[in-house]
Amino acid sequence: MTLTRTAPYGAFSIMRRLTLLAALLCTACATPQNNYDPLESINRPIYDFNSGLDQHLVRPVAKAYSEYIPPPLRSAVGNFFGNLDDLFGIPAALLQAKGTAAAKSTGRVVLNSTLGVGGLIDWASDLPIEKQNEDFGQMLGYWGVPSGPYLMVPFYGPLTLRDSSDNLLRLAWGPLDYIDPLAGQIAYYSTYVIDLRASLLPLDATLQEQFDPYSFVRDTYLQRRWFKVHDGNPPYPLPLGSDAEHGSSVTAEAASDTPSSSPSASEPSKDAQ
Amino acid sequence: MIKLVKQLLLATSLSFVAHSAIASDSPEQIVRSSSKDVLEIIKKNDKDPAKTRDLVDARLSPLADYKRMTALATGQYWKSATTPQQEALTNEFRAMLVRTYLSALTVYKNAQINIKGTRAGNDADEQTVRTEVSLPGQKPIPLDFNFEKNGNEWKVYDINVDGISFINNHRNQFGAVIRKDGIDGLIKQLAARNNAAKQGK
Repeated sequence: MTLTRTAPYGAFSIMRRLTLLAALLCTACATPQNNYDPLESINRPIYDFNSGLDQHLVRPVAKAYSEYIPPPLRSAVGNFFGNLDDLFGIPAALLQAKGTAAAKSTGRVVLNSTLGVGGLIDWASDLPIEKQNEDFGQMLGYWGVPSGPYLMVPFYGPLTLRDSSDNLLRLAWGPLDYIDPLAGQIAYYSTYVIDLRASLLPLDATLQEQFDPYSFVRDTYLQRRWFKVHDGNPPYPLPLGSDAEHGSSVTAEAASDTPSSSPSASEPSKDAQ
Repeated sequence: MIKLVKQLLLATSLSFVAHSAIASDSPEQIVRSSSKDVLEIIKKNDKDPAKTRDLVDARLSPLADYKRMTALATGQYWKSATTPQQEALTNEFRAMLVRTYLSALTVYKNAQINIKGTRAGNDADEQTVRTEVSLPGQKPIPLDFNFEKNGNEWKVYDINVDGISFINNHRNQFGAVIRKDGIDGLIKQLAARNNAAKQGK
């Protein structure tokens, strides 16, 4: 500011213009709240649509489901989908060269599909062969594929471009092919969605407390994925916003362009094995 | 006489130094002893969420640096806040955290906390204690405590649940409110929620 005082008029007006420009730039950079959400203006209306659907249809059904369906039956349903999840976890682990995780998932699928009556009983967890946590989105992230933009998918919920690969693969290879009539397919997916939604019911109170549920869901989702890609040991916190006291240099870099240019992409998670 | 007073002063100040040196446990020790106490509180008072909340709050609040937590959650706007604003914001944020998170603890009456180890932070004054909370029949949830050395004592300034950071999750939302209604607006909105919850109970 001492510069302004000593500078001649010409320089002063340039300074003023610069300040104006900076102010304009700042309002421009303040608009996207999140480095990973360039599509916020599209995502938000979809989020509103989804939460309306949830409020009027999915949540009431999930509540009724968890209230009226006896717990053993509910856990059988959860185990069934969990078993399929383990099945998809095997190639996802193998493609990351995680032998132990792949072996454990294989063990779980073999045991639960046979003795566990097609996955309805989770014997493996009692043994214990713990459930592994791998999917194709994490596999791509492991090899350095950036998350890409955050997407709010109608009728579904939060995803990133990278992580949608997992859902697409499961759609393409899922047991859907073996259930022929449309009614069967609808029943299969409805049960899946309701089971999933019922497991999230305890979080509703927390979500209601938020100033902005949309950004809460987004930030939660993105941080959790980042954490999982790094197997619970991320090298630094995900640079979400445009300001952070910790690692501000990282944030500045990430904010400059798309998330793909952030160091998250350039540094694969091999150290996190 | 003056010599005696001087010696007394020296003795007392030395004993203070010695005391605080003993009090500065390592982050891992802090997590170990406090998590044991907290689980005990929850087990004893699992029918009374309000009592659980108050007892746990009393046990944990000396270990947490709420001001730092609030500063990080407020992000770039913290510096532009006046001291009274910072204090008010810290109080309301703390009340909100206690209300929303500690009241929900009764779910964890059968929980176990396993300490997985300590990870060094960016510098010598930062450490993260990694734990896993397991409930019977459920996947364990990673729970990490970020500590920062504050003078001679380690204090928690952030908690990560399954990779989700408290302060990160609030920063975006707080920023949006501050841009729209200013820091006072944020304080007012937080206070309104805290008061509404108080009257609701």
